[in-house]
Amino acid sequence: MDIRKILFVTQFEELWFDALQSLLDLRRAALEHVVFVNVIEREKVTMHRGTGYQKREAMRLREKANIHFINWAEALFEQGLEVGVYIVVGALVTRVVEAAAKEEADLIVLGDRRQGGLKQFYAGEELAEIVRRSRVPVMLYRYAGARHEALPPFQRPLLATDWGPASRNAVAYLRRLQAVIEEINVVHVADERQLRGDSAMTIQKTRKDERARLEALCEQFEGDGIPARAHLVVGEPADLIVKAARQCQATMIVSGISTRRGFGARWRGGTYRAIADKTDLTTLIVPVPATAEDR
Amino acid sequence: MTKKVLVVDDDPDVRLFNITVIEECGYSALEAENGEEGLAKVKQERPDLVLLDVLMPRQSGIRLYRELKTDPALKQIRVVLLSGIAEKTFLRSQKALTEFGGAAVPEPEHYLEKPVEPEKLARTLKQILG
Repeated sequence: MDIRKILFVTQFEELWFDALQSLLDLRRAALEHVVFVNVIEREKVTMHRGTGYQKREAMRLREKANIHFINWAEALFEQGLEVGVYIVVGALVTRVVEAAAKEEADLIVLGDRRQGGLKQFYAGEELAEIVRRSRVPVMLYRYAGARHEALPPFQRPLLATDWGPASRNAVAYLRRLQAVIEEINVVHVADERQLRGDSAMTIQKTRKDERARLEALCEQFEGDGIPARAHLVVGEPADLIVKAARQCQATMIVSGISTRRGFGARWRGGTYRAIADKTDLTTLIVPVPATAEDR
Repeated sequence: MTKKVLVVDDDPDVRLFNITVIEECGYSALEAENGEEGLAKVKQERPDLVLLDVLMPRQSGIRLYRELKTDPALKQIRVVLLSGIAEKTFLRSQKALTEFGGAAVPEPEHYLEKPVEPEKLARTLKQILG
């Protein structure tokens, strides 16, 4: 699947437009359309004691958002991009998922700034719910602040694979991006239980098999013109993936999610959230392809 | 026969305002919420004029304008842009799309910036449709 259309969710955080600019190298792949989404939280305009629905406040917030969007849209239109806007009142998760479906977006981008004393915008539960309900990859974009350059996330991603359907989907997704990826690092975290062999040779064979699988995956990327390096580690997945990303100077961590029963227990729900919690890097969470999950 | 004007805008308040002006001028009004729906309505209803917003979901007015002006069957339909996006941006955008390999399109005859006074909108419609 190509990334033709990005759904860019914003509450007009500082430097958020810089973050968007860092994603525009995706134009060298297939990006042609950016859709902005601003969700006005219902609590801001409704249910005030004695006042009910605050239509004027809703209108004021809409027009304020519109001023931001016109400014941003003009910059993108002039670059030949297609731009759309949703300014909606309601629950963040529902509205984002609805807009993504309506627009048939290929990627949802959410912002999160941890440094600088601003409150974290997306609660873990909101991210988890958007990921759970989304049919397309969800990016939790992290920007480090005004003093740091917003690096293009797809420049040097680290792909964490558990060999499951979501990981395979992530591979297919990334292989289409050879025009923007300079290098990819692929990491697999082996389960310690896999290494409980009767002899050193059994354990070494497991290591060798996993290593060969990783090398084969790297060859696929290399075949597409994307330089790739394999890393096999063993232990607690989230910690090791975050550490590997730091060592490789990755610009983003890519991981899959699986909601299928009985598959990849260590990855279900937990790992991608643990990674997002532990890293300061942008994370991309890729779902199981719709067709595989629906079967 | 009453002339038909298609309003393409995602904002229901703006659509209502435009439709009121159009009907007060004696024309018949049609409406669409975005560029995609607008194009379908144009093909189906063949309006005499399209009153077109730029920044909309699904498909922008920039792309719809391009579709209208590059389709031999539709390019005679008159178009008035009515948007918060600056005309300069609209023109630069069309230029960029042409440079990326698209066909050249003519500049719009009328470009009105939101918000527009009802008298000005009515005057523009009458000037074009008589």
